[in-house]
Amino acid sequence: MQRQTTVMRAVLNSRLFWLIVAAVAIGLMPIIFTDSYWRTNLIVCAINVMLAIGLDFILGYAGQLNLGQSAFYGIGAYVSTLLIMKLGVPFWIAFGCGVLLSGIAGMLLSLFAVRLRGHYLAIASLGFAVITYQILVNWISLTQGPLGIYAIPPPPALQLPGLPIIDFKNLANLFYLTAGFAFLAYLLLDQLVRSPIGETLTAIREDEVSAASLGINCQAWKVFAFAVGSSVAGAAGCFYASFVGTLVPDAFFITESFTILAMVIVGGMGTLIGPVWGAILLTVLPELLRGVGDLRLIIYGVAVTLVVLFMPGGMVQAARFIAAYFRSLLPGRGAGA
Amino acid sequence: MLSVLLQQGINGIVVGSLYVLVALGLTLIYGVLVQINFAHADIVTLGAFAAYFFTFVLGGNYLASIAVALVVGAALGWLMNALIFAPLRNRGNELLPLIATIGVSIMLQNTMLAWFGPIPFAFDTPYSNDVIRVAGMFFTIQSVLIIVVSTATIGLLYAFMKFTFLGKALRAVSQDRETAGLMGINPNQLIMLTFVIASALAGMGGAMLGPVLVLTPFAGTSVIVKAFAIVIIGGFGNVEGTIIAGLLVGLIESYTTQFLDPGLIDIVVFALLLLTLALRPTGLIAEKREENV
Repeated sequence: MQRQTTVMRAVLNSRLFWLIVAAVAIGLMPIIFTDSYWRTNLIVCAINVMLAIGLDFILGYAGQLNLGQSAFYGIGAYVSTLLIMKLGVPFWIAFGCGVLLSGIAGMLLSLFAVRLRGHYLAIASLGFAVITYQILVNWISLTQGPLGIYAIPPPPALQLPGLPIIDFKNLANLFYLTAGFAFLAYLLLDQLVRSPIGETLTAIREDEVSAASLGINCQAWKVFAFAVGSSVAGAAGCFYASFVGTLVPDAFFITESFTILAMVIVGGMGTLIGPVWGAILLTVLPELLRGVGDLRLIIYGVAVTLVVLFMPGGMVQAARFIAAYFRSLLPGRGAGA
Repeated sequence: MLSVLLQQGINGIVVGSLYVLVALGLTLIYGVLVQINFAHADIVTLGAFAAYFFTFVLGGNYLASIAVALVVGAALGWLMNALIFAPLRNRGNELLPLIATIGVSIMLQNTMLAWFGPIPFAFDTPYSNDVIRVAGMFFTIQSVLIIVVSTATIGLLYAFMKFTFLGKALRAVSQDRETAGLMGINPNQLIMLTFVIASALAGMGGAMLGPVLVLTPFAGTSVIVKAFAIVIIGGFGNVEGTIIAGLLVGLIESYTTQFLDPGLIDIVVFALLLLTLALRPTGLIAEKREENV
């Protein structure tokens, strides 16, 4: 009996177990949801998960309030789409360029803002997002401005040896692709935050001066955090463009940065799993509330405010609280120990 | 050519003086609290709507509606501080209040969207169409009104800060909250007072911006991003710097519209902002604070 519970606890605490659960859950989703409406929402969820964990790496781990995530998202989307549509570059090369350029944009912003902290960084990154948006709107010869770019093809079908052709016109396959990349991004960031790099970033977040006195090159690591987080947003942008098929600058207005921020906060910043749940909840909840009409976005704002006021750890803190409550109800614990 | 330059200069100063009203609120709050209020934008919008409904639904006088917007703004400022900033003050995380105000802003904008709809309101004041002509230039009575009211307000605020006991106490709190507390000043009351004054300025700024802007629930956002640029260019917490930077941004806006392209306004303003941050992060006008750099 005792051994059984220890084994069970070990299994529940192992990362591998939960990663397998997550992979199985991703695999099952398009089987459970067969209509195109919910499959579309699933893809949006996967894209938002990428945006949220990318921001969380910068905000939750390195402690840098970045309100420019919408710009990196937009740069990834526009760079890859323009390469595909104007130059006929193959999708995956364009994808790589989009990710790379978003990452470089992130590095440049943080190199520029390297002396700024807190509120100044927030406003500098907001300024970066405003400028990027205005360039997308005004550079009509390149981006076609508010008219938008239409008929963007989905990713090309994948022909793997020994397997049937995987066609990404099929929403289920497109979901596997985006969710697969979101999963990969999660794994990558998870490895990073568990490595000494994660501790370095956390040290910078907690106290930059002490971190520097321990020999940490704070500026270099902040640039690194921005580069990683913005590349992930760029990848999300590439998938967004090829999934929606049209691009307009309004999709990358500064309010999009706030939406992504809300996902991180509601989920729980400073953990990676929190923003995943936050992104899923804040994507699915408005869809479920569609019947309520305009109320849904009001609820969005109320949720962020209430979370900050009463549960700054977000859903992760709530889950820990509930788990601790049920554990305290278990007989024999506490009294026996 | 000269008359075009002058005409656009005056237009720029009219809009700029409204930006100053909005940006002064941000800078005052930053001065005492070292916090940014994102929902300041929505106080501007709500001020504009309050003035609109007072004038067109209740049939009130437009001048009185500016006072109504001021009161609405003051009440909202009181609420913002009581419900958001005061509870979060001692949490030790400087980013939490900022994020909470983003939440409040999303909530207010969408509440207004549900009430008023997305279609812009036509806010023509009785003074918008009365034109006087001086030396080849045109002024509407509205723009004269804007300059008079905002100059008087800024002057009163300046006098209040410089010469009254409360104003001196307010500056003391913004210089050193703890020492001010030891001198028998209640910092909490002064922070509340700052929020009320700052938001009242935003509300009355909204009442006068309403006819200038496209009045939708999202009108405040376009103003607030410029106000952020202004407070950084002028130096956060620096009242004189904010006034100069606000007028500067107004002038940039009207000259960009005249000589370049209206679509480029935000790019020019924010390029100046980023330049300021790169060269003199404490503000182009004067140095005051250094904790953010």
